[in-house]
Amino acid sequence: MDKKLVRELEQALGKDAVLWKTEDLMLYEYDGSVEQARPEYVVFPRSTRDVVQIMLLANRFQVPLVGRGAGTGLSGGALARHGGILLVFSRMNRILELDFENQRAVVQPGVVNLDLTRAVEHAGLYFAPDPSSQKACTIGGNVAENAGGPHTLAYGVTANHVTGLELVLPEGDVVRIGGKVTDSPGYDLTGLLVGSEGTLAIVTEVTVKLTRLPEAVKTLLAVYDAVDDATETVAEMTARGITPAACEMLDGWMLRAVEDFVHAGFPTDSAAVLLIEVEGLREGVEAQADEISEVCRLHHAREVRVARDARERDLLWKGRKNAFGAIGRLSPTYYVQDGVIPRTKLPATLRRIDEIGKTYGFRIGNIFHAGDGNLHPIILFDARDKEQFDRAVAASNEIMKFCVEMGGALTGEHGVGMEKNELMPLMFSEADLNLMRRVRDCFNPAGLLNPGKILPLGKGCGEIRARPLPVSATSRA
Amino acid sequence: MSATRTSALTRLEGLLGTEHLLTNPTQLAGYEVDGLRPAAVAQPGSAGEVAEVVRFAAAEKLAVIPVGGRTKLRIGAAPRRYDLATDLTRLDGVLAYDPGDLTLGVQAGIRFAELSRVLAEKRQFLPLAPAFAEQATIGGILATNSGSPLRHAYGSARDYVLGMEFVTGEGIETKSGGRVVKNVTGYDLHKLMIGALGTLGVITRVNFKTFPLPHAQTTFVGSFDSAAQALGMCRAIAQSALQPRLVDVLDPAAAQMIDPAHARLPAGQWSVVVGAAGDERVVQRHGIDLARITKGARATAFVALTDEEEATLLGRIREFPKLAAGTSPAATLFKISVVLAQMLALLERARQVIQRNQLASMTLLRASGIVYLALVPTALDAATLARLTQAATELIHASSNSEIGGRPVIEWCPTELKSQVNVWGPARDDLMLMQRVKKAFDPQGIFSPGRFVGGI
Repeated sequence: MDKKLVRELEQALGKDAVLWKTEDLMLYEYDGSVEQARPEYVVFPRSTRDVVQIMLLANRFQVPLVGRGAGTGLSGGALARHGGILLVFSRMNRILELDFENQRAVVQPGVVNLDLTRAVEHAGLYFAPDPSSQKACTIGGNVAENAGGPHTLAYGVTANHVTGLELVLPEGDVVRIGGKVTDSPGYDLTGLLVGSEGTLAIVTEVTVKLTRLPEAVKTLLAVYDAVDDATETVAEMTARGITPAACEMLDGWMLRAVEDFVHAGFPTDSAAVLLIEVEGLREGVEAQADEISEVCRLHHAREVRVARDARERDLLWKGRKNAFGAIGRLSPTYYVQDGVIPRTKLPATLRRIDEIGKTYGFRIGNIFHAGDGNLHPIILFDARDKEQFDRAVAASNEIMKFCVEMGGALTGEHGVGMEKNELMPLMFSEADLNLMRRVRDCFNPAGLLNPGKILPLGKGCGEIRARPLPVSATSRA
Repeated sequence: MSATRTSALTRLEGLLGTEHLLTNPTQLAGYEVDGLRPAAVAQPGSAGEVAEVVRFAAAEKLAVIPVGGRTKLRIGAAPRRYDLATDLTRLDGVLAYDPGDLTLGVQAGIRFAELSRVLAEKRQFLPLAPAFAEQATIGGILATNSGSPLRHAYGSARDYVLGMEFVTGEGIETKSGGRVVKNVTGYDLHKLMIGALGTLGVITRVNFKTFPLPHAQTTFVGSFDSAAQALGMCRAIAQSALQPRLVDVLDPAAAQMIDPAHARLPAGQWSVVVGAAGDERVVQRHGIDLARITKGARATAFVALTDEEEATLLGRIREFPKLAAGTSPAATLFKISVVLAQMLALLERARQVIQRNQLASMTLLRASGIVYLALVPTALDAATLARLTQAATELIHASSNSEIGGRPVIEWCPTELKSQVNVWGPARDDLMLMQRVKKAFDPQGIFSPGRFVGGI
C-alpha cells in the first residue's frame, strides 16, 4: 500500500470514497466464487470524471485497476487478483434515461438489475437478462460477465440486450461505442466489450434494450422418477423446436435440499423435476403448454403440474433462485460449476457427472438451465480440508473436460475470470489465445485492467496453477 | 504486376493446382472492385489452403480481397490496392449439423440458398434472409452484415452466430466462440468479423444457432395515405403484445418497384407489411389485432395475403437492395440505422434534400431500426453525378446530426461517387480503437486496404 496514492485518491474523490485499512479491505477480498484476493485500495467513484481520475492515478502509480459491481460474480472476475485498486460502482447507480418509445434505457453501471425492471414495468417493459442474483447484481457486472439467467433461453444473454457503452480507457480517454441504434458502421466493439470481464476498459455507462412484458405466462412443473427421462424430455423439446422462455432442471437431491429450506412445493420423493415457463400471446402460451405436457408425458413424467396463479409461480421460482442458499445450510463450502453441452448430449453428460462424483467420492447435485444445455453441477466439500478441496477442483476439471469433449464450452454465463483461465487451452489453441492477447493489448497495453483474468498465465499449455484456499462461499447462480 | 510477382504466382499455382489459380483476363474481370482488377484469383479448397494463400500474400505483400458470391463488391470505399482475390466458393460444405440441438457449422463459401434447402429438409432455417439470396455466400453475408426483414423477431447475425474460424492477416488459422447456444468463454472475436468487410480475416467456418420453421405464417398489408400514418401503425404494433416476425414499410415508389402490377400494394400508398408466424391460433390473433390497429391508424386498406402472394412479396422485399441497385447505373443505396421515433423526422429531411437536388428515390423502412433509402437517377452523367454528390453529402449530414442520431452508410453507389463522399459516414471517436484492432488481426494491412471505415 502506497500512502501517497491513498492521499491522491482522497484528494481526487474525497475521504469518504477511499478505503485502505486492512479491516475494510477484507470485506472486498471475495465474490460469489471460491476464489479470494485482497485489493490494496477500494474506491467509490460518483461520475465518469471520477473514474477518469482513478484511471490516471492507476496509470501513474502503475497499479492494477479492477471494476466491481455487487460482487456476486462466480468466477472471481471482480477480485483484485494482483492487488491494486478495486473500483466499486455502488455510487454510480443512477438510471440516466428511460426512452419508452424506442425501448431503451441508459444507466450507470452500478444500477441493480432488478431495479431497472422495476423502473420500467409500469410502461409494460422489463430488462430481460435475469441472473439468479438479479436482486443484488449490477448491470455493469452483467455487461462485464455477459450474464445469463433462466430466461436467456428465449431472450438471449446480456450481449443481445446492450446497444451502446461509454468506456474509460487506461490512458484516461472517454470513448463512446455503439448507441441507441442497433448498427454502427465499423467493427462491433460493443459486442466485443460485453463479456470482456473488465480486461479491456472500464464501462461507465450502458445503453440497453427494454423488452415488452408478455401478455401471458404459464409455469409448468414436470415430475420424474428417473433423471434420464427428464433429460430426454429436454432433448425432444429442443428437437421439436419448442422454445419455452425457460426450462430448468433440478435433480432429486437438489430439490430435497431446496424444499427443506424454501417449501416451494417440490415433490421430495422424485428423481428430477423440470421447471418450464412459456410466455407470449395467450393463444401461443396455451398451444406451447399443451405440446410441452405431451412431450413430458411421452417421457414418463409422473405428473405435470401447472402453477394456478402468480403466487404458486413465484414460489416455484423462489425455489429455483434460492437453491444455492439452501445448499449453504448443508455444507461449509460448495463449488458451483458452469459448463455447456449440446442439448442432444444432456442424458450422457449427466450420467458422466454422476460417475465422476462416485470416482472422486462426492455427491454432485445438478440444478441448471437445461433448455440451453448450461449445466451447474454443484460439489459439496469442506474447504478447511486441503485434500478435499484439491479433489473437488480435480472432479470439477474432469467435468469441464467432458463438456469440451462433447463439443461444449467452459462457461455459459459465469465467465472465465480467475477460475478457469488456466483451462482455456482445453478449448482454444495457442494461436487463438495469442490473438485474444493481442486484442486485449489494443485496449489495455500495460495490463493494468483486471490482470490475471480470462487468459492463461502459465507459459505451458494447460498448466494448472496452484489455487488459493477458498473462503466459505455463499453464492447464487 | 512485376516479374518477381509473376514468378511468385507460379508458386501459388503449385500450391493450389493450375485450375484453382485464375489469371485469364476474362475471368479476372468478374472480380473487379471499383474498377480495380486483381492480378490473380486464388480458389483454395480448404481452410488450410486459405491460410497458405494468405501467408503467401503476406510474404509477397499482396493486397487480398476475400470474395464469395461477388454480389456486394460495391460495398465500401474504393480499395487502395488489390492484387489477389481469394475466392471462398469451393469451401461450400456443411461440416456439422445437429438438428436435435438446433446448431449448425458450415464452411464460409456455402451459398445461402443451398444451405436453406439443407435446413428446410429438417424444417429449420436461418433468419438471415439476405438480398442476392441465390448467389450470396454465408461468409459474404456476414462480412457485410447483410440486412434481413426477419431481424424484427430474431435479431441480427451477431445474435445467432455462435462461433467462427478465420485466417488472420498473418495466415494463422484462428477461432473464437464455440458450437453451443450459450457460451461466454474468451473474447467474442467473431462478433468483430460480422460487418468487417473482410478487413480482419478470412472467415472459413461459421457456427450458427438454427430455428424451427413456424407451423403457420401469414403476411398482412396495411395501406396508408401518409408516412406519418404508416409509422403510427408501427408504433402501435411496438406497444402491443403482438410479436410479428417482420414489420417493413414501403413508400409509394418502393411499392411500385416491388409490386409493379399493384396486386397487393396499392398505387400511391404507403404500405406496412407485417408478418406473423407460429401456432395457427397465434397467427389468427395477429390478424384480428392488426385489423383493429390498422383501422385506428386510419388505413385505407388492410389485407391478408395468400401463401403464393406472400412468397412473391416477401421474396421481392428481401431483394430490395438488389432490385433498387438494378434500376440504374447511378443507383445509390443508403442504409441508415435510426431509432423508430426519429424515422418520420428523417423522412422529412430526406424528402427536402431529394427534392432540392431533383432526384428520384425509393424508401424501405424496418421498424427494428433500419431505413433503406435509394437515390435512383436514370443516367450517370456529369450533371447527375454532381447532384448525387450534393444530395449524398446532405443526406449523411441530415441523418447523423444530433437531432436524428442516425448512422448512415452508403451500401451501393457508382465508383465515381466514392471519391466525392465518404460512404461510411462521419468518423466517430472510436475509430482509434478500430485501427488498433485492425492492426492486431492484420498487422501488415493486406486485407482489403482502404475499403473500410476511416480508411482501414
